[in-house]
Amino acid sequence: MTRAGRWRSPLGLRATVMVSFAAGALTVSALLALSTYVAARHYLVDQRELTALRQAFVDASVVRDGLLTAGARESDVIGSVSPPAGSDILLYRDGQWFSSSLREGSASVPPEVLRSSLSGTASLAWARTSDGPGIVVGVPLPAVRGQFFEVSSTSELAGTLTTLSSVLLISALVTTLGGALLGRTAARRLVAPLDTISGAAANIAIGKLDTRLPGTDDPDLAVIVGSFNAMVETLQDRIERDARFAADLSHELRSPLTTLKASVEVLVRRRDELSERGQRALDLVDGELERLRQSLEDLLELGRLDAGVATLDLAPTDLGELVRQALAERHHSTDPLVTLPGPASPPGDADLLPVLPVLTVLVDKGQIHRALLNLFTNADVHGAGLSAVTVVRADDQVMVIVDDNGPGVAPADRERIFDRFARAGSRGSRPGTGLGLSLVVETVQAHGGAAWCSDSPSGGARFVIRLPLFVRDGLDRPNEISHEDVSGRDQPDAVELEQELGS
Amino acid sequence: MARWCWHHEAMSPRLLLLEDDDGIRTALRLSMEDEGYEVVDAANAEAALAAVRARAPDLMLVDLMLGGMDGFSFIRSVRPNSSAPIIVLSARSDTHDIVAALEAGADDYVTKPFEVKELSARLRALRRRPPVALEIDANGSSQQLVLDRGNGPLVLDEAAGLVRRGDRQVHLTVTEYRLLCELGAAAGRVLSRRALLESVWDRGYFGDERIVDVHVRRLRTKIENDPGAPTLLVTVRGLGYRLDPR
Repeated sequence: MTRAGRWRSPLGLRATVMVSFAAGALTVSALLALSTYVAARHYLVDQRELTALRQAFVDASVVRDGLLTAGARESDVIGSVSPPAGSDILLYRDGQWFSSSLREGSASVPPEVLRSSLSGTASLAWARTSDGPGIVVGVPLPAVRGQFFEVSSTSELAGTLTTLSSVLLISALVTTLGGALLGRTAARRLVAPLDTISGAAANIAIGKLDTRLPGTDDPDLAVIVGSFNAMVETLQDRIERDARFAADLSHELRSPLTTLKASVEVLVRRRDELSERGQRALDLVDGELERLRQSLEDLLELGRLDAGVATLDLAPTDLGELVRQALAERHHSTDPLVTLPGPASPPGDADLLPVLPVLTVLVDKGQIHRALLNLFTNADVHGAGLSAVTVVRADDQVMVIVDDNGPGVAPADRERIFDRFARAGSRGSRPGTGLGLSLVVETVQAHGGAAWCSDSPSGGARFVIRLPLFVRDGLDRPNEISHEDVSGRDQPDAVELEQELGS
Repeated sequence: MARWCWHHEAMSPRLLLLEDDDGIRTALRLSMEDEGYEVVDAANAEAALAAVRARAPDLMLVDLMLGGMDGFSFIRSVRPNSSAPIIVLSARSDTHDIVAALEAGADDYVTKPFEVKELSARLRALRRRPPVALEIDANGSSQQLVLDRGNGPLVLDEAAGLVRRGDRQVHLTVTEYRLLCELGAAAGRVLSRRALLESVWDRGYFGDERIVDVHVRRLRTKIENDPGAPTLLVTVRGLGYRLDPR
């Protein structure tokens, strides 16, 4: 499944949904908080100004009345007024300033307030007082030729506003966090069906073709579930059809091949009764029949590997022993791929049997055996015979290295030779099915390994297959270990084989 | 029943060939006659059943895919009357079919297209005598191994070539009997699947070990009191099977 899509984001669906929810919540709550703050601040400031104004007029009239009283001194009049806490009274009369407190003086009165008062207009202004921000109200007192000023500290208003803003900020943060949590839950619910689908898809990918998504009442999901299940249905049908086709093909071709093989066997027994021309024809039929059989087997096996239906009968197996078996079989085999006229016979056996350590791999014996035989046959047919076979361990992998005496494989061809029906030389002159190496690489890949071609240090071609080393974890695994007698029995077998091969 | 094929080896063994494909049947008949068998062939299961009754073959080659009654049914219906080895000719290498055929009572299988040499080797292996499992008594007569001393003791009577429970003969196929003899000869010791495969079926390194498993299962249904919980023929996990006479 490709992940390229239009809505591919660096975050992933879940995170995207969560972030979107959080951003939405943040925007809404920030707007709400801001407008609340502005409105509240506006109202509170208005109220505060109104209060200050009212207070100033009341106090101003008290001062004016006091001053109208004959002989009253300004300081006494001011002292008689009791402004609320945080408010101070200033009086400007005859070029002199009088104050109700030591904290405030003429400096507290902003010039524009003084100017408008001198010009006979009452005014209000915000100013810095000794006690933080405050309101200064100027009231002209023309009757007594004086100017009345009242300075009120608004620190309590500032405190209220600070509290309000922090409450709003916190609630905005909480809302954002809530949005993110909601987003996460929503994303989870949104993605849950996707998880189910990807789980089902993974099951299907490993060959459990009867996997289906459970039905759902959700109309949004029902469409996806329906089309997914329909897709799997189609896929299963197709794979089963292919498998059936392979089985039918196998049956249809195997029956006549069986007849041919048995009949040719009867003829071979009577080879001496035939004329020389007849014998040559019989040899051809016999050889080609075997090649046909081999091609059919290889094709069917490739078909099974393609369809992913090749059931691997996995058991822990000593790879060295498998290699020995394959070498032995190649030697004693009547396989025409080996006996057909062709390159020189393989070199002495002693060179072919280096000391093989016990390296266990979890494989289908028969399949890896076939792959090894194919490699050896390839070396015999195209590589002028085997020169060395080595089994080595590299970390958690085991490699079988097959070197031959041939001219090697050109670097440009080293990938191509694993293609089906790719072969060196012209079609007519070389034996072989053309499927051997592709079967090797596909079999090894089905076992989680790899196969490749390189140069042999001795000049020929080198084919390598790599398989994961099987590490026994000490647990009793009946199905796997029950097939395994290697530890106790294979040593004598190996010795026997070695003797047999050496003779 | 007690007279099994190895008692008349001098004569050419009689081979029943059940195969519906005319080509294969004719060709196999020719090549098997070359191998020295007296071949009785049949194109369908009904004719083959009649031939089994009339000719009592020593060996049978059975194709699984037949028109009408199939190979599995044939094997199941012939088994109560014949203990002769049966080799299945399977066109499919489908492992499912092979196990089903073995469970129905077949002894071994070859997959088409096979080499005649390979088929002959399989047939020869199944016709070998069982090993002489038991030491001869002091009086030199009784070659018997008591497998189970319960009421109606289970006895492997090698001299007679049969297994008895009390007075009644337990009907084993030739291969089941040979498997029991192998296990009896090594009573108390574990035999690996591969060792059994080699000694009873003459199969090499790549032999199918499921053959042994299915035969052990079949043998258990005949000799165990409770085949589901075997106490006589036990599985030794990871190693193989062991016969524990009581």
